[in-house]
Amino acid sequence: MKSTSTEKFLEIRGLKKYFEAGRPTLFSRETKHIHAVDGVNLALRRSEVIALVGESGCGKSTLGLLLMGLEDPTDGSVIFEEKDITHLNDHQRKDLRRKIQMVFQDPYESLNPTQTIEEIVTEPLVVHGIGASQQERGERVKKAMEDAGLKPAEVYLSRYPHELSGGQRQRVVIAAALVLEPEIIIADEPVSMLDVSIRAEVINLLAELRISRQIAVIFITHDLGSVGFFADRVAVMYLGRIVEVGTMLEVLEKPQHPYTKALISVIPVPNPRLRHERIILQGETPNPINIPSGCRFHPRCPVAVEACKLSDPAMIQLSKSHQAACLLVSNK
Amino acid sequence: MQITTSQPPTVPSRPVSGLLSFWRFFSRSRTGLIGFWMLIIAILVAVFAPLIAPYEQGATTSVGIGDIYQPPSAAHWFGTDDAGQDVLTNFIYGARVSLTVGFFAAFISIVIGGVFGLVAGFFGGRWENFLMRFTDIMLVIPDLPLTVVIVALTKPSLWNIIFVIGILGWTTTARVVRSQTLAVKSRKFVLRARAIGASKLHILIQHILPLVLPILVVQAVLAISLAILNESTLSFIGLGDPSAPSWGQMLNFAFGRGAMSVGAWWALVVPGFGIVWVVLSLTLLGQGLEQVLNPRLDTHYLMPSRPAVQKEARAKPIQKDVLLDVQNLSIHYVGEGKAPARAVENVSFTLKEGELIGLVGESGCGKTTLMLALLKLLPSAGQIVNGNVFYNGNDLTVMDEEEINKVRWSNISIVFQGAMNALNPVRTVGDQIGEAILKHEPSFPKNKINERVSELLELVGIATDHLDHFPHQYSGGMRQRAMIAMALACNPQVIIADEPTTALDVMIQAQILELLDGLRKKLGLAVIFVTHDLGVVAELCDKVLVMYGGVTAEYADVDVIYNDSKHPYTQELLKAFPDLTKPKKKLASIPGYPPRLDNLPTGCRFAPRCPVAFDRCHTDEPALHLLQKDHIVSCHLVEASK
Repeated sequence: MKSTSTEKFLEIRGLKKYFEAGRPTLFSRETKHIHAVDGVNLALRRSEVIALVGESGCGKSTLGLLLMGLEDPTDGSVIFEEKDITHLNDHQRKDLRRKIQMVFQDPYESLNPTQTIEEIVTEPLVVHGIGASQQERGERVKKAMEDAGLKPAEVYLSRYPHELSGGQRQRVVIAAALVLEPEIIIADEPVSMLDVSIRAEVINLLAELRISRQIAVIFITHDLGSVGFFADRVAVMYLGRIVEVGTMLEVLEKPQHPYTKALISVIPVPNPRLRHERIILQGETPNPINIPSGCRFHPRCPVAVEACKLSDPAMIQLSKSHQAACLLVSNK
Repeated sequence: MQITTSQPPTVPSRPVSGLLSFWRFFSRSRTGLIGFWMLIIAILVAVFAPLIAPYEQGATTSVGIGDIYQPPSAAHWFGTDDAGQDVLTNFIYGARVSLTVGFFAAFISIVIGGVFGLVAGFFGGRWENFLMRFTDIMLVIPDLPLTVVIVALTKPSLWNIIFVIGILGWTTTARVVRSQTLAVKSRKFVLRARAIGASKLHILIQHILPLVLPILVVQAVLAISLAILNESTLSFIGLGDPSAPSWGQMLNFAFGRGAMSVGAWWALVVPGFGIVWVVLSLTLLGQGLEQVLNPRLDTHYLMPSRPAVQKEARAKPIQKDVLLDVQNLSIHYVGEGKAPARAVENVSFTLKEGELIGLVGESGCGKTTLMLALLKLLPSAGQIVNGNVFYNGNDLTVMDEEEINKVRWSNISIVFQGAMNALNPVRTVGDQIGEAILKHEPSFPKNKINERVSELLELVGIATDHLDHFPHQYSGGMRQRAMIAMALACNPQVIIADEPTTALDVMIQAQILELLDGLRKKLGLAVIFVTHDLGVVAELCDKVLVMYGGVTAEYADVDVIYNDSKHPYTQELLKAFPDLTKPKKKLASIPGYPPRLDNLPTGCRFAPRCPVAFDRCHTDEPALHLLQKDHIVSCHLVEASK
């Protein structure tokens, strides 16, 4: 499914978020910073699905929170529908929230256990004062729930979260986002806590929504495999930066960055006849307080050369839609 | 009987009101119930005082000097006091005063403490600093002397006393509420509420307050008893309101006017009993409420299961290189007044030396129960009702605690799901591994412990210099490696890995899988790998056991499972898996949900979700069909092809 419009309706420019990791003390004068997001550029088109992939600690979740305005960026800007939404006051932010909604990782934790499903899905309407009458709200809630696959809605309204399965709870979270009729959904690891058999259900649901409601989705995940071919484009993040971005096919079939290659090689293939050589990176993402010199991936890179320690590679345009930041990649 | 349902098993949507269901919960706590009824009695006595009391309050008419300190008699059941008044009458009216003070003073403390705690916890920053430092100061000042001073300086009216007790009694509440607020604030649904655009006030009232309320209720109950005690103390030292005779004042008068010296014990015992009764009732009630509202106090312990069925140990002829032979194992969870949940039924598999078997199924299909049963680690409700587990020819199911303890860890060890979070944060990882060695091999030479620990850490790919590090210095993946090192401590032959990679990143998952695969090659370990992820299994298993709703769906070599599976459930699971080698293939999900083990469908357990189910599937439970060597399928459909 190609997006119907190519306009960039969400654009992230040089976005940075540093967290203070410790103030100057008697023993050290400098303030240390966690470079959670360290200069990210990305554009999202209307009703496009982008998979944002990376290991824990690469800053992908922080990026999601920045886009939601739940964290304040240190630097850079976010443009939405040609308006700068980087720094907004509470009132403007609230209006924007109707258009950008978020789905969280853990459906067990992200629902208030004391609220019924009806209260949970109605709450966004109450908060934004949408719907004149009880009836109008009821209808919106019902539509959102049925769009989220909770059919018939009446069965679920008076239940509590603990009475639902994990997949159903995630549908409730999605319904509570849909009820505001957003244009973008930021889904932060929406399936990683779910059984594989239910993951497909949630991903298919998001795929249907982007078609029926023209919703763009930023799908944050550590497992490229879980996205399947649902995403249009993939952005691979490492240590606060995007190191490769391209269409799903480009990235899966012709990955250029060694990190992307490794990530793809460890996706489990459900066929023992296709057991293949996997590039298993040793160690884990380095501490984002002390970013390695040069290319930030070089300490774990299986193909790093001497130059990688010195110069920080810039994004190289490989095709119209494909970019990668690696010294060993050239756009010949 | 035709069951057509793609719906989840319909849980009855709350027919009872919240209050009623709360009462049902609460009435399970015996202490709470006793306290509750004791308090109700006290309240009834106070409310209906004029009806119950044998005399009018303060009836001093016809009181002569001879009526003072009369012992209990038919006219005065509990005697008379220093003014010749009926002790029982004064006691009954005293309940009014004491309870009034208790409830109103507690109300004041709870409101102040609650607001302080909520604001400090929720807003943090300057507000928190100011409010909590103020609370600390108030906590340091001893309550009672301050109360005495203030009450002594003001007019000793009942409402003054209530007010003073109220505004001095909120500190504990503020602290408790603040910590609960902090805990609730960090939960994900609060972040979600912010993402919706909810204001702080909305979040505070809709999301934080309902979860803080239970704690506030418990605090309120305790505050009432504290206030009653404080009032009694004040009255006893003569600072009470003379126009409102409370139990404390009864004590004060009796004590001050020679009740002790004339032996009029009743004038002291009766009001004392009142105070003890009410305070005890409130304490019991508070305890009961806390048990219900704060489930952390619930006791869940892992008790070794009793051998349910006394069977004779059957020595089994040892098959060549078969380490573990599980035969027809069935496990039920039995609960009081409930039908037994048939968590595992009739599961069989074998494990050879150096073999890696994958145990696959959705959450709640009995995987973990099965693994716990192998080592008899089931909680007390879980019982092995049938079957045998042979380890090297010995039946583990009939062993007693002592015998099985020798097998646990030394022969078969387990890496639990989420075990990496179970490391003790204040002790070094090396220390904890060393302890695990000594626990199972007490004779291990102490001076060689460190050497052995380093060896184990190296085995799992952790550099030895991490030996002295604390768990928080380890990453998630390293902690999981440390747990594997611990499982290897006594050179077991079998390792059970229960979802060891579920919470980890794909790259770390790949590292752990590589490690397990390497270990079995290097040490000849046999591994049982429990997972819900078929992809993981394909990468390294030899055999796969697919479980559904507590029974074997299919059991075969890994290649057969992926390329020639016969059970519809296995086939559906495979379709649900995103296969990146086949672009543009739409993901299929299995409609519906696994059955609840205490409410299983008749016939095949998978039938309600099965795309190819026919009539018989809903009535007859399929047998385990052996198709070819080591390929077992429980499905009616394979019968024809056999």
